[in-house]
Amino acid sequence: MADVVLETHNLTKEFTKRRGLSSPLHPFDKTTFTAVKNINITVERGEIFGLLGPNGAGKTTLTKMLCTLILPSGGSASVCGYDLAKQQGNVKASIALISSEERSFYWRLTGRQNLNFFAALHGLAKDVARKRIDEALKQVDMTDAADRSFKEYSTGMKQRMGLARGLLADPEIFFMDEPTKGLDPVATRKLHDFIINRLAATGKTVFLATHHLAEAEQVCNRVGIMSAGKMVASGITSELTGDSSLAEYFHALITDTEVEE
Amino acid sequence: MLRKPLAFLKKDFLMEISYRFSFVLQFASIFFSVVMFYFVAKLLSDAPSVQKYLSEYGDGGYFAFVLIGIAFSSFLSVGLGSFSTNIRAEQMIGTMEAMLVTPTRLPMIVISSSIWSFAFTSLQVAVYLLIGGIFFGVNFGNANPWPALVALLLTVIAFSSLGIISASFIMIFKRGDPIAWLISTSSTLLGGVYYPVNILPDYLQTLSYFFPITYSLRAIRLSLLNGYGFSQVSSELLSLVLFSVIMLPISLLVFRYAVGRAKRDGSLAYY
Repeated sequence: MADVVLETHNLTKEFTKRRGLSSPLHPFDKTTFTAVKNINITVERGEIFGLLGPNGAGKTTLTKMLCTLILPSGGSASVCGYDLAKQQGNVKASIALISSEERSFYWRLTGRQNLNFFAALHGLAKDVARKRIDEALKQVDMTDAADRSFKEYSTGMKQRMGLARGLLADPEIFFMDEPTKGLDPVATRKLHDFIINRLAATGKTVFLATHHLAEAEQVCNRVGIMSAGKMVASGITSELTGDSSLAEYFHALITDTEVEE
Repeated sequence: MLRKPLAFLKKDFLMEISYRFSFVLQFASIFFSVVMFYFVAKLLSDAPSVQKYLSEYGDGGYFAFVLIGIAFSSFLSVGLGSFSTNIRAEQMIGTMEAMLVTPTRLPMIVISSSIWSFAFTSLQVAVYLLIGGIFFGVNFGNANPWPALVALLLTVIAFSSLGIISASFIMIFKRGDPIAWLISTSSTLLGGVYYPVNILPDYLQTLSYFFPITYSLRAIRLSLLNGYGFSQVSSELLSLVLFSVIMLPISLLVFRYAVGRAKRDGSLAYY
């Protein structure tokens, strides 16, 4: 039986907002926007699952919900066997979120000082943290630059520090939100190799939200395609696309979905 | 258990000293502030009103009175403002989200991110008192530090409760927190920072009893300048306990509501 590490059932997120001063006659009326609607996905251990979709499709909202940053309004999910709504602490201990956001580090500290701080937040004891930091820096090839100020790093180096931070707590699932945004082709290639050969090959699961179709085709075992908050297709990449490329399949699917709506 | 708070303390210390000029400047401004009030006090030294209104605080005169006022009122600012300021700073520099995906609870993040502010303020208060004592002759020879320390601890709890409410406001509305502004302004106006409460009209004196700073500064001054013991400042300490007992649970409830709402809105890491 497959080892499922991530499962959602009708996971939904609605954002409710009061009209406020934009509607002076009815300031307390509410408007609702459904960002993610009835999402059902299953991801198995060691898989690289690609979440695709155009801008505004709901990829980031879904990713943030699965990382406990946003509360779902409906449905349920389990991450590494933990209930997303009721066992948030356990969920957080089992995951890492790696985004393209360079500003998620303290730029005036060194790379190592940053990692030390986040290791403490993961509850790692000092000696364990020191060992894990050395290992993580080695894995992302940043050992020599670890004691330089973070602000001196190139975009690629900052992204590698993001990976190193993700590795600290030895999580089961790596959530990656547009991880190659801003990276040059060489750095992108290195990151892809890392995902395939260092993470998935060692049994780690990767949930990769991206709108780079070539990236998804190259790296992911399975993909899910979102449009306007809904999952409009999901499955093994080659089975979904048949003879066409993922890009052709994606464009046809998104166009059809937009026409239907 | 202390690993996380200490990690915040170390991180914030490293950040603070990375801005070396600002670090030095903050201590220099303490010196200039003390010098300024020294001359104001000199101007007032022969004024009969000083004797009339400050007689209960010994013979240190206005300078000793105001030195303690400005030094310890910095705990008001830090208690009220540090939680919301630090949350907003982490949101703005972009590190909040990275912290929230670690298995560290939000209350721990909020409280720990203010430890450096309190530690730094304590250092500044010590510098105020040292400068006053060494260079300007304020006599702390009779000081009884223990009641002052207890009063200070209770003050920090009482102000922090208000600060946590203020942080809850920032969490939902992001900017324009009226709570910290209102309490800070009123406390400075009514609480006896720059002048004694008994110089105020009766109705303002009555109003001043609703602010913890009034009790806090009185207890600290009486302990440090007159050497009063616990029994002599018990009513002030009791009032501070009462503030803390009432305000702390309320602030935690408000904070819990604000976190829930920000998580529902998906705005926890936004500014």
